Amino acid sequence: MTGGSVIGALQAALSAEQAASYGYGIVGAHLPQGSATQAGASTDWVAHVRAADQLTQLISARGATPVPAAVAYQLPFPVSTTAQARALAATLEDRVAQAYLGLVALTEISLRSFGAQQVRAAAVRAEGWRGWTEAFPGLPASSLRR
Amino acid sequence: MGTDAAAADAARGTVSRRSVLTASAAVASGALPLLLTACKGVQALGTPPPPAPDIVALRTAILAEETLLARYAAVVRLASTPAGSGVVTAIKTVQAEHVAHLAQLKSRLVEPAGSTPSSFPSASSSPSASGSPGATPGAPVSGTLPAALTALEEAEQAASDRLIGQLGVLPASLAQLFASVAASEAAHVPYLRAAARRGL
Repeated sequence: MTGGSVIGALQAALSAEQAASYGYGIVGAHLPQGSATQAGASTDWVAHVRAADQLTQLISARGATPVPAAVAYQLPFPVSTTAQARALAATLEDRVAQAYLGLVALTEISLRSFGAQQVRAAAVRAEGWRGWTEAFPGLPASSLRR
Repeated sequence: MGTDAAAADAARGTVSRRSVLTASAAVASGALPLLLTACKGVQALGTPPPPAPDIVALRTAILAEETLLARYAAVVRLASTPAGSGVVTAIKTVQAEHVAHLAQLKSRLVEPAGSTPSSFPSASSSPSASGSPGATPGAPVSGTLPAALTALEEAEQAASDRLIGQLGVLPASLAQLFASVAASEAAHVPYLRAAARRGL
Protein backbone atom coordinates (compact mmCIF):
# COMPACT_ATOMS: atom_id res chain seq x y z
CA MET A 1 0.00 0.00 0.00
CA THR A 2 1.52 3.31 -1.02
CA GLY A 3 1.67 6.37 1.22
CA GLY A 4 -0.76 8.07 -1.12
CA SER A 5 -3.28 5.29 -0.64
CA VAL A 6 -2.91 5.54 3.13
CA ILE A 7 -3.46 9.28 3.10
CA GLY A 8 -6.35 8.86 0.67
CA ALA A 9 -8.07 6.36 2.95
CA LEU A 10 -7.50 8.57 5.98
CA GLN A 11 -8.84 11.61 4.14
CA ALA A 12 -11.93 9.66 3.05
CA ALA A 13 -12.61 8.61 6.62
CA LEU A 14 -12.09 12.18 7.81
CA SER A 15 -14.50 13.45 5.17
CA ALA A 16 -17.14 10.96 6.31
CA GLU A 17 -16.65 11.96 9.94
CA GLN A 18 -16.93 15.66 9.09
CA ALA A 19 -20.15 15.01 7.18
CA ALA A 20 -21.48 12.96 10.11
CA SER A 21 -20.61 15.73 12.56
CA TYR A 22 -22.55 18.20 10.42
CA GLY A 23 -25.41 15.77 9.91
CA TYR A 24 -25.86 15.08 13.59
CA GLY A 25 -26.53 18.77 14.08
CA ILE A 26 -29.51 18.36 11.75
CA VAL A 27 -30.52 15.14 13.51
CA GLY A 28 -30.46 16.72 16.95
CA ALA A 29 -32.47 19.71 15.80
CA HIS A 30 -35.34 17.45 14.72
CA LEU A 31 -35.52 15.29 17.83
CA PRO A 32 -37.70 16.15 20.83
CA GLN A 33 -35.97 18.81 22.88
CA GLY A 34 -34.48 17.46 26.10
CA SER A 35 -35.35 13.86 25.25
CA ALA A 36 -33.12 10.87 25.83
CA THR A 37 -33.02 10.43 22.08
CA GLN A 38 -31.63 13.91 21.61
CA ALA A 39 -29.07 13.23 24.32
CA GLY A 40 -28.11 10.09 22.40
CA ALA A 41 -27.62 12.14 19.25
CA SER A 42 -25.39 14.50 21.21
CA THR A 43 -23.30 11.58 22.46
CA ASP A 44 -22.92 10.23 18.93
CA TRP A 45 -22.00 13.69 17.62
CA VAL A 46 -19.21 13.90 20.19
CA ALA A 47 -17.94 10.48 19.09
CA HIS A 48 -17.71 11.69 15.50
CA VAL A 49 -15.97 14.93 16.43
CA ARG A 50 -13.39 13.00 18.42
CA ALA A 51 -12.87 10.51 15.61
CA ALA A 52 -12.36 13.39 13.18
CA ASP A 53 -9.74 14.82 15.55
CA GLN A 54 -7.95 11.46 15.63
CA LEU A 55 -7.95 11.24 11.85
CA THR A 56 -6.66 14.80 11.57
CA GLN A 57 -3.75 13.87 13.81
CA LEU A 58 -3.05 10.68 11.87
CA ILE A 59 -2.95 12.58 8.59
CA SER A 60 -0.77 15.37 9.98
CA ALA A 61 1.62 12.85 11.53
CA ARG A 62 2.22 11.49 8.03
CA GLY A 63 3.18 14.90 6.70
CA ALA A 64 -0.05 15.55 4.82
CA THR A 65 -2.60 18.29 5.29
CA PRO A 66 -6.06 17.24 6.48
CA VAL A 67 -8.78 18.47 4.17
CA PRO A 68 -10.97 20.90 6.13
CA ALA A 69 -14.68 20.30 6.57
CA ALA A 70 -17.12 21.91 4.17
CA VAL A 71 -19.27 24.76 5.36
CA ALA A 72 -22.42 22.77 4.63
CA TYR A 73 -23.35 19.34 3.23
CA GLN A 74 -26.15 18.23 0.95
CA LEU A 75 -28.49 15.99 2.92
CA PRO A 76 -29.34 12.65 1.25
CA PHE A 77 -33.06 13.34 1.79
CA PRO A 78 -35.20 16.04 3.39
CA VAL A 79 -35.36 15.96 7.18
CA SER A 80 -38.29 17.51 8.96
CA THR A 81 -39.58 14.79 11.29
CA THR A 82 -38.21 12.67 14.11
CA ALA A 83 -38.38 9.55 11.93
CA GLN A 84 -36.45 11.27 9.16
CA ALA A 85 -33.89 12.48 11.67
CA ARG A 86 -33.38 8.93 12.90
CA ALA A 87 -33.07 7.70 9.31
CA LEU A 88 -30.48 10.38 8.60
CA ALA A 89 -28.44 9.32 11.63
CA ALA A 90 -28.48 5.71 10.46
CA THR A 91 -27.46 6.76 6.94
CA LEU A 92 -24.59 8.83 8.31
CA GLU A 93 -23.37 5.82 10.26
CA ASP A 94 -23.59 3.60 7.19
CA ARG A 95 -21.40 6.03 5.26
CA VAL A 96 -18.92 6.29 8.10
CA ALA A 97 -18.70 2.50 8.28
CA GLN A 98 -18.05 2.29 4.55
CA ALA A 99 -15.30 4.90 4.72
CA TYR A 100 -13.55 3.13 7.58
CA LEU A 101 -13.47 -0.12 5.62
CA GLY A 102 -10.94 1.74 3.46
CA LEU A 103 -8.64 1.81 6.48
CA VAL A 104 -9.25 -1.88 7.12
CA ALA A 105 -7.88 -2.60 3.63
CA LEU A 106 -4.53 -1.02 4.51
CA THR A 107 -1.58 -3.17 5.53
CA GLU A 108 -0.61 -1.01 8.51
CA ILE A 109 -1.98 -3.02 11.42
CA SER A 110 -2.69 -0.07 13.71
CA LEU A 111 -4.76 1.67 11.02
CA ARG A 112 -6.52 -1.56 10.13
CA SER A 113 -7.45 -2.14 13.76
CA PHE A 114 -8.55 1.46 14.23
CA GLY A 115 -10.70 1.22 11.12
CA ALA A 116 -12.31 -2.03 12.25
CA GLN A 117 -13.13 -0.61 15.68
CA GLN A 118 -14.75 2.40 14.03
CA VAL A 119 -16.77 0.24 11.62
CA ARG A 120 -18.04 -1.67 14.63
CA ALA A 121 -18.89 1.47 16.57
CA ALA A 122 -20.77 2.88 13.58
CA ALA A 123 -22.75 -0.33 13.13
CA VAL A 124 -23.78 -0.32 16.79
CA ARG A 125 -24.86 3.32 16.58
CA ALA A 126 -26.77 2.62 13.36
CA GLU A 127 -28.65 -0.18 15.08
CA GLY A 128 -29.66 2.25 17.80
CA TRP A 129 -31.14 4.67 15.28
CA ARG A 130 -32.59 2.18 12.85
CA GLY A 131 -33.83 -0.43 15.27
CA TRP A 132 -32.44 -3.33 13.29
CA THR A 133 -29.10 -4.64 12.16
CA GLU A 134 -27.44 -5.24 8.84
CA ALA A 135 -25.54 -8.36 7.85
CA PHE A 136 -22.64 -6.49 6.26
CA PRO A 137 -22.25 -2.94 7.58
CA GLY A 138 -20.19 -0.76 5.28
CA LEU A 139 -19.77 -3.36 2.55
CA PRO A 140 -21.44 -2.49 -0.75
CA ALA A 141 -23.62 -5.28 -2.11
CA SER A 142 -21.43 -5.44 -5.20
CA SER A 143 -18.53 -6.67 -3.08
CA LEU A 144 -20.46 -9.67 -1.80
CA ARG A 145 -20.22 -12.97 -3.63
CA ARG A 146 -23.36 -14.67 -4.84
CA MET B 1 33.62 -50.20 -14.57
CA GLY B 2 30.41 -48.34 -15.37
CA THR B 3 31.34 -45.70 -12.85
CA ASP B 4 34.69 -45.25 -14.46
CA ALA B 5 33.06 -44.84 -17.85
CA ALA B 6 30.64 -42.25 -16.50
CA ALA B 7 33.46 -40.33 -14.86
CA ALA B 8 35.35 -40.36 -18.11
CA ASP B 9 32.25 -39.14 -19.95
CA ALA B 10 31.72 -36.38 -17.43
CA ALA B 11 35.31 -35.27 -17.85
CA ARG B 12 34.81 -35.12 -21.61
CA GLY B 13 31.33 -33.63 -21.42
CA THR B 14 29.94 -36.44 -23.54
CA VAL B 15 27.74 -39.50 -23.03
CA SER B 16 29.17 -42.72 -24.35
CA ARG B 17 27.19 -45.74 -25.53
CA ARG B 18 28.72 -47.70 -22.64
CA SER B 19 27.44 -45.28 -19.98
CA VAL B 20 23.96 -45.32 -21.46
CA LEU B 21 23.93 -49.09 -21.33
CA THR B 22 25.17 -48.97 -17.73
CA ALA B 23 22.33 -46.65 -16.75
CA SER B 24 19.83 -48.92 -18.47
CA ALA B 25 21.12 -51.86 -16.49
CA ALA B 26 20.75 -49.90 -13.27
CA VAL B 27 17.10 -49.23 -14.07
CA ALA B 28 16.50 -52.85 -14.92
CA SER B 29 18.06 -53.98 -11.64
CA GLY B 30 15.67 -51.91 -9.50
CA ALA B 31 17.71 -48.79 -8.93
CA LEU B 32 14.97 -46.56 -10.37
CA PRO B 33 13.28 -45.77 -7.05
CA LEU B 34 16.57 -44.53 -5.68
CA LEU B 35 17.03 -42.26 -8.65
CA LEU B 36 13.50 -40.92 -8.33
CA THR B 37 13.85 -40.00 -4.71
CA ALA B 38 15.90 -37.04 -5.84
CA CYS B 39 12.98 -35.75 -7.94
CA LYS B 40 10.58 -33.09 -6.72
CA GLY B 41 7.60 -35.22 -7.72
CA VAL B 42 8.24 -37.68 -4.93
CA GLN B 43 8.48 -34.89 -2.36
CA ALA B 44 4.88 -33.98 -3.15
CA LEU B 45 3.84 -37.25 -1.50
CA GLY B 46 5.21 -36.08 1.84
CA THR B 47 3.43 -34.13 4.57
CA PRO B 48 1.65 -31.10 3.08
CA PRO B 49 2.72 -27.71 4.40
CA PRO B 50 0.56 -26.22 7.15
CA PRO B 51 -2.24 -23.95 5.93
CA ALA B 52 -1.47 -20.26 5.65
CA PRO B 53 -2.55 -18.07 8.59
CA ASP B 54 -5.34 -16.46 6.60
CA ILE B 55 -6.74 -19.88 5.72
CA VAL B 56 -6.65 -20.88 9.39
CA ALA B 57 -8.41 -17.63 10.32
CA LEU B 58 -11.06 -18.21 7.67
CA ARG B 59 -11.69 -21.78 8.77
CA THR B 60 -11.94 -20.61 12.38
CA ALA B 61 -14.44 -17.92 11.41
CA ILE B 62 -16.53 -20.45 9.48
CA LEU B 63 -16.53 -22.77 12.46
CA ALA B 64 -17.58 -19.93 14.76
CA GLU B 65 -20.49 -19.05 12.48
CA GLU B 66 -21.58 -22.68 12.32
CA THR B 67 -21.52 -23.02 16.09
CA LEU B 68 -23.38 -19.72 16.50
CA LEU B 69 -26.01 -20.92 14.05
CA ALA B 70 -26.42 -24.17 15.95
CA ARG B 71 -26.88 -22.16 19.08
CA TYR B 72 -29.45 -19.88 17.46
CA ALA B 73 -31.41 -22.90 16.26
CA ALA B 74 -31.57 -24.15 19.84
CA VAL B 75 -32.73 -20.77 21.15
CA VAL B 76 -35.37 -20.52 18.42
CA ARG B 77 -36.74 -23.86 19.63
CA LEU B 78 -36.69 -22.54 23.18
CA ALA B 79 -38.49 -19.36 22.12
CA SER B 80 -41.12 -21.11 20.05
CA THR B 81 -43.63 -20.97 22.88
CA PRO B 82 -46.24 -18.38 23.81
CA ALA B 83 -43.78 -16.90 26.29
CA GLY B 84 -41.17 -16.40 23.59
CA SER B 85 -43.41 -15.10 20.81
CA GLY B 86 -42.22 -11.54 21.42
CA VAL B 87 -38.59 -12.30 20.71
CA VAL B 88 -38.60 -15.21 18.29
CA THR B 89 -38.84 -12.92 15.24
CA ALA B 90 -35.82 -10.93 16.39
CA ILE B 91 -33.85 -14.10 17.01
CA LYS B 92 -34.70 -15.43 13.56
CA THR B 93 -33.67 -12.12 12.00
CA VAL B 94 -30.22 -12.36 13.55
CA GLN B 95 -30.06 -16.03 12.66
CA ALA B 96 -30.63 -15.13 8.99
CA GLU B 97 -27.75 -12.67 9.11
CA HIS B 98 -25.48 -15.39 10.44
CA VAL B 99 -26.54 -17.59 7.54
CA ALA B 100 -25.44 -14.77 5.21
CA HIS B 101 -22.14 -14.41 7.11
CA LEU B 102 -21.46 -18.11 6.78
CA ALA B 103 -22.21 -18.11 3.06
CA GLN B 104 -19.84 -15.22 2.40
CA LEU B 105 -17.06 -16.69 4.51
CA LYS B 106 -17.40 -20.08 2.83
CA SER B 107 -17.31 -18.45 -0.60
CA ARG B 108 -13.84 -17.12 0.20
CA LEU B 109 -12.43 -20.52 1.17
CA VAL B 110 -10.93 -22.49 -1.69
CA GLU B 111 -9.78 -25.93 -0.58
CA PRO B 112 -7.39 -27.87 -2.82
CA ALA B 113 -9.17 -30.72 -4.63
CA GLY B 114 -9.26 -33.88 -2.56
CA SER B 115 -7.90 -32.22 0.56
CA THR B 116 -9.18 -33.06 4.00
CA PRO B 117 -8.49 -30.07 6.21
CA SER B 118 -7.29 -31.73 9.39
CA SER B 119 -7.13 -28.38 11.18
CA PHE B 120 -10.79 -27.66 10.48
CA PRO B 121 -12.71 -29.29 13.33
CA SER B 122 -16.43 -29.80 13.06
CA ALA B 123 -18.85 -27.57 14.89
CA SER B 124 -19.79 -30.36 17.23
CA SER B 125 -16.23 -31.32 18.12
CA SER B 126 -14.99 -27.91 19.17
CA PRO B 127 -17.52 -25.88 21.04
CA SER B 128 -15.12 -23.25 22.29
CA ALA B 129 -13.11 -20.86 20.17
CA SER B 130 -13.18 -17.70 22.19
CA GLY B 131 -11.36 -18.75 25.30
CA SER B 132 -14.14 -17.38 27.46
CA PRO B 133 -16.30 -20.08 29.02
CA GLY B 134 -19.23 -17.73 29.41
CA ALA B 135 -19.16 -16.61 25.83
CA THR B 136 -18.37 -19.68 23.80
CA PRO B 137 -20.48 -19.92 20.66
CA GLY B 138 -21.05 -23.64 21.06
CA ALA B 139 -21.80 -23.70 24.76
CA PRO B 140 -25.05 -25.43 25.74
CA VAL B 141 -28.16 -23.30 25.69
CA SER B 142 -29.25 -22.23 29.14
CA GLY B 143 -32.55 -23.46 30.45
CA THR B 144 -34.54 -20.24 30.48
CA LEU B 145 -35.12 -17.94 27.54
CA PRO B 146 -33.80 -14.79 29.26
CA ALA B 147 -30.63 -16.64 30.22
CA ALA B 148 -30.27 -18.04 26.71
CA LEU B 149 -30.61 -14.56 25.22
CA THR B 150 -28.00 -13.17 27.57
CA ALA B 151 -25.67 -15.99 26.57
CA LEU B 152 -26.29 -15.20 22.90
CA GLU B 153 -25.34 -11.56 23.49
CA GLU B 154 -22.10 -12.67 25.12
CA ALA B 155 -21.37 -15.09 22.29
CA GLU B 156 -21.98 -12.37 19.71
CA GLN B 157 -19.58 -9.98 21.43
CA ALA B 158 -16.95 -12.70 21.77
CA ALA B 159 -17.30 -13.64 18.11
CA SER B 160 -16.94 -10.00 17.09
CA ASP B 161 -13.83 -9.54 19.22
CA ARG B 162 -12.29 -12.72 17.83
CA LEU B 163 -12.79 -11.62 14.22
CA ILE B 164 -11.18 -8.25 14.84
CA GLY B 165 -8.29 -9.98 16.57
CA GLN B 166 -7.54 -11.94 13.41
CA LEU B 167 -7.39 -9.00 11.01
CA GLY B 168 -3.61 -8.80 11.03
CA VAL B 169 -3.09 -12.02 9.07
CA LEU B 170 -5.67 -11.36 6.37
CA PRO B 171 -5.45 -9.97 2.86
CA ALA B 172 -7.29 -6.69 2.33
CA SER B 173 -10.61 -7.90 0.94
CA LEU B 174 -10.94 -10.66 3.53
CA ALA B 175 -10.05 -8.20 6.30
CA GLN B 176 -12.90 -5.98 5.14
CA LEU B 177 -15.31 -8.90 5.23
CA PHE B 178 -14.15 -9.89 8.72
CA ALA B 179 -14.48 -6.31 9.95
CA SER B 180 -17.96 -6.00 8.51
CA VAL B 181 -19.11 -9.31 10.00
CA ALA B 182 -17.57 -8.30 13.32
CA ALA B 183 -19.51 -5.04 13.20
CA SER B 184 -22.73 -6.87 12.44
CA GLU B 185 -22.20 -9.26 15.34
CA ALA B 186 -21.45 -6.40 17.72
CA ALA B 187 -24.67 -4.72 16.62
CA HIS B 188 -26.59 -7.90 17.40
CA VAL B 189 -25.84 -7.37 21.08
CA PRO B 190 -27.98 -4.24 21.61
CA TYR B 191 -30.54 -5.57 19.13
CA LEU B 192 -31.07 -8.77 21.13
CA ARG B 193 -31.07 -6.82 24.39
CA ALA B 194 -33.75 -4.47 23.09
CA ALA B 195 -35.79 -7.40 21.80
CA ALA B 196 -35.60 -9.06 25.19
CA ARG B 197 -36.72 -5.86 26.90
CA ARG B 198 -39.69 -5.55 24.60
CA GLY B 199 -40.67 -9.17 24.32
CA LEU B 200 -40.02 -10.87 27.63
